[in-house]
Amino acid sequence: MAKKISGPQMVIANRLDDGRVVFLTSSGDWSARAADAAVADDDVSVDALRSVASASEAANRVLSVEVIEADVHNGVPHPAHMKFAMQAKGPSVRADLGYQVSPDWER
Amino acid sequence: MVLINLTGITTEAWTHLEDDMMPGADTRVAAPLARLTEEAEGFFAAVEAVGAVVSTDADYRSLAPLANKLSFVVIDFPAFGDGRGFSLAVRLRKDLGFTGEIRATGPVIPDQAIHLMRSGFDTVEVEDKREAAFKAALKRYSVFYQSDYTGRTALTHARHAVQERRPEQQRKAS
Amino acid sequence: MYAYDDYDHALVNARVAEFRDQVNRRLSGELTEEEFRPLRLMNGVYLQLHAYMLRVAVPYGTLSADQLRKLAHIARKYDKGYGHFTTRQNIQFNWPKLVDVPDILDELADVEMHAIQTSGNCIRNVTTDQFAGAAADEVADPRPYAELIRQWSTFHPEFTFLPRKFKIAITGAGADRAAVKWHDIGLVLKKNDAGEIGFAVIVGGGMGRTPVIGKTIRDFLPEADLLSYLEAILRVYNEQGRRDNKYKARIKILVDALGAEEYARLTEEEWQAIRHHPVDVPAEEVARIHAFFKAPPLPVLSDDVPTVDAFAEKNFLFAAWLKNNVSAHKVPGHVNITISLKPHGGIPGDASHSQMDLVAALADRYSQGEVRVSHEQNLILPHVAKKDLPAIWADLDEAGLGTANAGLLTDVIACPGLDYCALANARSIPLAQSISARFDDIKRLMDIGPLKIKISGCINSCGHHHAGHIGILGVDRKGEESYQLLLGGSGAEDASKAAILGPGFDEAGIVDAVEKVVAVYLGEREDGEEFLSTYRRLGPDIFKEAVYGTH
Ligand code: SF4
Repeated sequence: MAKKISGPQMVIANRLDDGRVVFLTSSGDWSARAADAAVADDDVSVDALRSVASASEAANRVLSVEVIEADVHNGVPHPAHMKFAMQAKGPSVRADLGYQVSPDWER
Repeated sequence: MVLINLTGITTEAWTHLEDDMMPGADTRVAAPLARLTEEAEGFFAAVEAVGAVVSTDADYRSLAPLANKLSFVVIDFPAFGDGRGFSLAVRLRKDLGFTGEIRATGPVIPDQAIHLMRSGFDTVEVEDKREAAFKAALKRYSVFYQSDYTGRTALTHARHAVQERRPEQQRKAS
Repeated sequence: MYAYDDYDHALVNARVAEFRDQVNRRLSGELTEEEFRPLRLMNGVYLQLHAYMLRVAVPYGTLSADQLRKLAHIARKYDKGYGHFTTRQNIQFNWPKLVDVPDILDELADVEMHAIQTSGNCIRNVTTDQFAGAAADEVADPRPYAELIRQWSTFHPEFTFLPRKFKIAITGAGADRAAVKWHDIGLVLKKNDAGEIGFAVIVGGGMGRTPVIGKTIRDFLPEADLLSYLEAILRVYNEQGRRDNKYKARIKILVDALGAEEYARLTEEEWQAIRHHPVDVPAEEVARIHAFFKAPPLPVLSDDVPTVDAFAEKNFLFAAWLKNNVSAHKVPGHVNITISLKPHGGIPGDASHSQMDLVAALADRYSQGEVRVSHEQNLILPHVAKKDLPAIWADLDEAGLGTANAGLLTDVIACPGLDYCALANARSIPLAQSISARFDDIKRLMDIGPLKIKISGCINSCGHHHAGHIGILGVDRKGEESYQLLLGGSGAEDASKAAILGPGFDEAGIVDAVEKVVAVYLGEREDGEEFLSTYRRLGPDIFKEAVYGTH
């Protein structure tokens, strides 16, 4: 399970009941904003995040949990890779939909 | 583990013979097909009932020489998605004319209960926690589109039966 | 169209109740995701990048106006106001909440629709010619057979856990609009010398990593034997198809390993043993199903409609639409309309709820309440009286549905790609948009003529790139989106595999490359020669040179 850590990491998942993309925060909760994500940059803190996320998955709050690389600019994290960045924003071809409109668009 | 009876067949317990274990006082025994193929007549004569245990990858033709000596066959699914088990049961009924009990073991899921029954299985061994779900699943559907090799009436025929039958009643009637 | 009886309703309602129970058990934690996943997939529920996705079956691409209105309603009430029509003639909703899916299925059941077997390793929705029952070039209507197969394959006790997914396509016309040779089983309706109806049976076609064109294993199968023969094909596959590697599990790999002749022999042997078992449907049932697909009673009208000609005379876009999007019907004075879901700059296959409502209203008024979905991701109004064309076009055009590009270069097939799909390597939709923006001129498109561009965001090939005259495949090149260019594929009766031309491109590069390929064609074509013929005549080298400048 434990991958080699390269740079800052964050945790992404989908909420179980509605499938929406969420990020693990430092309080152990899930947020729709990538900017709220907790960032870990060493093995120990990555493992800590991972175990919080797994517990939440086991408690049937989220699914499809992944630890992913983060780009941190001015202290604000964002998924480094294309696919996860797409998840954070919403479809590039529908700028009127998804998190790019508002993190709370689904309500 | 609990045993779910899919067809209402009368079934009794048996002993699974590990390795080269001999029947002893048991009158109903099960053993892997490979071993049974090697056993002489005396083995079959000594007990009341013999069953073969096979995996889903067994070729049904390998059961042919033994079919009339077997009282039951256990088809063990290595994974629920291994659909060969369904065809194997169909082959036993359809091609070998096997009328004894066919049992499913392994990680089959409640969603498959009716498929098992309709493919020719009589019983399935499931984890205790799945018992309720299996029983509920069995009651879920009462009509079927296809004819199968277990003699159930398919909709394609039922629709044109002389006597009009409602969907709810069809299961009992067949 | 087929209409459910009490039995069909009972079955679909039981499925909805079952799924509601499964969803509740998942939410309460009684089912783990591992256990729930195969169950949700059997009901067409995927987890995509942004949300769940629900794939609803449109059986053999046929919809009633009421069904289409229901889809519009679902898009509005449970989704974000639109749906996406796919290359398998289905519709996908991109944003449903898991908790809402049982209610959505309930609403679908009200209009005799469902999401059963739209995913999973089972027999999927049977696809066919979008003009079935209405095309001028048809031997027989494939829809009654497709419905027979639909019923036979629904909850099949033996064939619901196959080695891999299984797709059947059927065509009733000589011109193959259903890509039958690219399916696990392809069926071609034909008549024998005695005038009896039967099928040529093709097996082992498929796209994905290993594109294969299917092989004919039987030249003529009498229609009465259809289901027993399919059963025999499926049993051989279920028993012998590979289960150790999901990339080698499709029937095409087995047919290739055994050889088509051996596959035919095994099928024939099993078929002879079962063909008289009641698996074959009684004649009364065949007659019952056929009766639902009786041709609508259309009056024979004149094909000369001066009002239409006059309107075309003064309106170029209508004239172009008339030429490109309107095709011949069996009954004189009538036509079939292809409604393009490929507006230039738009998203291929997407339709908004209001567009769906409009098409449903037009269907009620002009096309016997019937709508079709084509595998090329367009909608069809069949059985339309020619005289109604100007009024229909005006309504469509106002709603952004009047693009006159059916069958032309901008009628691009594109899968959802990385904008939605969790499996994607690269985006597909923006490419389709850039291409249609680059070629945004109907006159130029008509000069170029029939040219099919097909784009997939990964090797799974949902965008049929292997069968594109020009195919584009998205790949991941060190974390960047990259696109391969393929030429020379065909999904029609002259099916062929497209071949990779050379190294990949970025997004801007691939659009330039397409333009260069088209320029070579325009320069080299002979009189009346279409793109694919020119490519086949010249081979790839001249195109390679133009694209990569190899000298
Ligand atoms: S081809 Fe690949 S990217 Fe496109 S929809 Fe299919 S799986 Fe997704």
